[in-house]
Amino acid sequence: MRKFIADYGVYLALLALLIAATVLTPKLYDVNTIAVVMRQASQLGIVAIGQTMILLVAGLDLSIGGIFLMTSIVVADVTNGRDEMVIPAILIALALGALVGLGNGVLVTKRRVPPFVATLGMLVLVKGATQAYTRGVPGGFVPEVLGLVNQSWFVLSIPLALWLGLNAFFIFVLRRTSYGRKVYAVGSNSEAARLSGISVDAIRISVYVLGSCLAVVSGVVLTGYVGYVDRFIGTGLELDSIAAAIVGGTAFVGGRGGLLGTIAGVLMIQILSTMAILMGLDIQVQFIIKGLVILGAVTLYSLASIEE
Amino acid sequence: MSEYILEMRNISKSFAGVHALKDVTIRCRPGQVYGLVGENGAGKSTLMKILAGAYLADAGEIIYKGERREQMSAGEIIDSGISIIYQELALVPQLSVAENIFLGREPQRALGILDLKSLHERAAKLTERLGISMDTRTPVSELTVAQRQLVEIAKALSQNADLIVMDEPSAILAGSELDQLFRIIESLVEHGVTIIYISHRLDEVFRIADEVTVLKDGELVDTRPIEQLDRPMLVELMVGRPLDEIFPQTEHEQGDLVLIAENISTDTILENASLELYAGEILGIAGMVGSGRTELARALFGADPLTSGTISLAGAKGDSWNNPAQAIESGLALVPEDRKSHGLFTSLSVRVNLTLPILSRLTRFGILQSQAEDEIVEEAKDRLSIVMASADQEAQYLSGGNQQKVVLAKWLETNPAVVILDEPTRGVDVGAKFEIYKLMRQLNDRGIAIVMISSELPEVIGMSDRILVMNDGRIVGEVPQVEATEAGIIELATMADAVANAS
Repeated sequence: MRKFIADYGVYLALLALLIAATVLTPKLYDVNTIAVVMRQASQLGIVAIGQTMILLVAGLDLSIGGIFLMTSIVVADVTNGRDEMVIPAILIALALGALVGLGNGVLVTKRRVPPFVATLGMLVLVKGATQAYTRGVPGGFVPEVLGLVNQSWFVLSIPLALWLGLNAFFIFVLRRTSYGRKVYAVGSNSEAARLSGISVDAIRISVYVLGSCLAVVSGVVLTGYVGYVDRFIGTGLELDSIAAAIVGGTAFVGGRGGLLGTIAGVLMIQILSTMAILMGLDIQVQFIIKGLVILGAVTLYSLASIEE
Repeated sequence: MSEYILEMRNISKSFAGVHALKDVTIRCRPGQVYGLVGENGAGKSTLMKILAGAYLADAGEIIYKGERREQMSAGEIIDSGISIIYQELALVPQLSVAENIFLGREPQRALGILDLKSLHERAAKLTERLGISMDTRTPVSELTVAQRQLVEIAKALSQNADLIVMDEPSAILAGSELDQLFRIIESLVEHGVTIIYISHRLDEVFRIADEVTVLKDGELVDTRPIEQLDRPMLVELMVGRPLDEIFPQTEHEQGDLVLIAENISTDTILENASLELYAGEILGIAGMVGSGRTELARALFGADPLTSGTISLAGAKGDSWNNPAQAIESGLALVPEDRKSHGLFTSLSVRVNLTLPILSRLTRFGILQSQAEDEIVEEAKDRLSIVMASADQEAQYLSGGNQQKVVLAKWLETNPAVVILDEPTRGVDVGAKFEIYKLMRQLNDRGIAIVMISSELPEVIGMSDRILVMNDGRIVGEVPQVEATEAGIIELATMADAVANAS
């Protein structure tokens, strides 16, 4: 029972939600609605991949909101609306993102700052730095080509393809490569990992860097959705990505969980929000529902993890 | 009323279809001490948890004080006079002795204000009854482990317990503390209290028990009066086969020098330790807890950075190292003392645990070769007879002995030249102990040098070729096996001036 809830609980909950939707909000099953849900889920899902891996090494990344803002400003500033500059802009954003991740990782490993504090500090630092750079008035234009992320062909879209592709890649990495094994080992028992010859710090730092880079990718997609530079872009997504991973069964203490659960967690969060909108509920009520789902999931997992 | 205070009749319990207990019956008369023994996983703890109300039996009945016990909460069971003292003590460190004894049942005045005077008076009466002198105002965090255990016993007495279950009380006690515990048990028994005493240490069972019940694989093997038993008979009942308790011996010559440590110190208690290690030998390290044994093991493995001295391989290779990764590369392996926090990945599968140090051998371009991994896992399972449901089972669900085998097996895959074993048989049952000894001899035969740290002197003397004795962070003496006696080692390990003489 314990193992069953831990492995499949989130899928059962997702299924129940989908069944409930047939009665409550049949509009959810409209092709256009599905397409929108999947595009939005993809944007959250990409950053949740990184967050899941960071949680797996018993870490946490709250700096994501800063990376979103930085990404969208870099994209607008470097391209200033020119399509041909998109690739260089993304590369610059990735480099800066990697730097932020490196900072997080070094603080957590070499300076032994708790991840919560280190990444929260980094969030404030990055947001402050980007706003200082733009002097509070973000300039530049988002190139038109990024608007492609809003296009769907049936339910398929570029964000969805990216999400699925990245998931496939990282699921393979976590399950079938020695790097993936080391990620789990470091999160499960870092001292035992060190005594097994694993460079624990290097693994941790690399995961933070990966997480930040995935946040940049997600940030590019989000910038394309929004179409202009918004000072509040991506606010709250760091918490949504953590929620998706936790609801999907990844343990806060590390070493347990994975991306299949996170996919379901992302879908649950996205479908819940969409259903709430379709039912015409206030945004406040949406938050209440989201909160209840997270607390419910965590309660179930902790009940399930009480041995026998 | 019947002659028994407690009868547990035909108790059965299974978890997920696996029998933990099958038709077990025990009977206890008032004022007697019952030894409950069996290997890890035999069902002792499950039986006691059913008694405590933590589990509900699938079948069977409990007759307590002449009445059939209905389903009760844990609190009601305590009120009925049954107290269980678990191995992991359940005290609140910040509270005082008296507050812990009466936790949740503090004497109160009107309006729920604590009656501190009466609290301490009553606590003092209890500690007096146990014959221990202790200020009941002391916070429990300032007590030694042995004293905390006495507080637990006082707590049980304060609940007017007629039946006290002690789960491995001696695992954390040393000589004189143990004597004190036994004196207290004797006085409790004189007052009519019944004791169920669970222990791995058979000597204690012979010393204290009136009757012994042996469980094996969830079934009752036998219950016999202690007079009808001797040690080999009891071991045979527990293991189910005659077990030569003598440590397996092999004939071998001293091999080549493999490792030299010169004057090594770390930031810990360890100071200026030097040793030489030869192929195919077992070098025992004896000493009290806290004498620097574990620190020596960690220093040899590069787990703690050296502040002085050198460690290197002898001969042509001549490697030296300053972190575990390099040590492993040079052919060292460490099976740490604290299995759960330093050795095992409890939330990960047996498979992942087994192959972690040899991933580079099992991968091509970083990608795992499943077939090669399966073969390694299968081979390790057979070689050490690891009992598990499947290789994908999480390590936390294995018994202590099997967990230790997993940690050992993991290191054997690295083909080490030097294996450091820190308390290799702690918390491991008799059968698995013997298998670990046999494995150590096989390693010796392959020319592997072993450093073995152990608190069990018979084990150190029985298995080692040479014994180094540690005291206060230093190596204070070397004893060849033929000359080693327990008394001699204890003297070196505890003598204050041994340290001075050595330096």
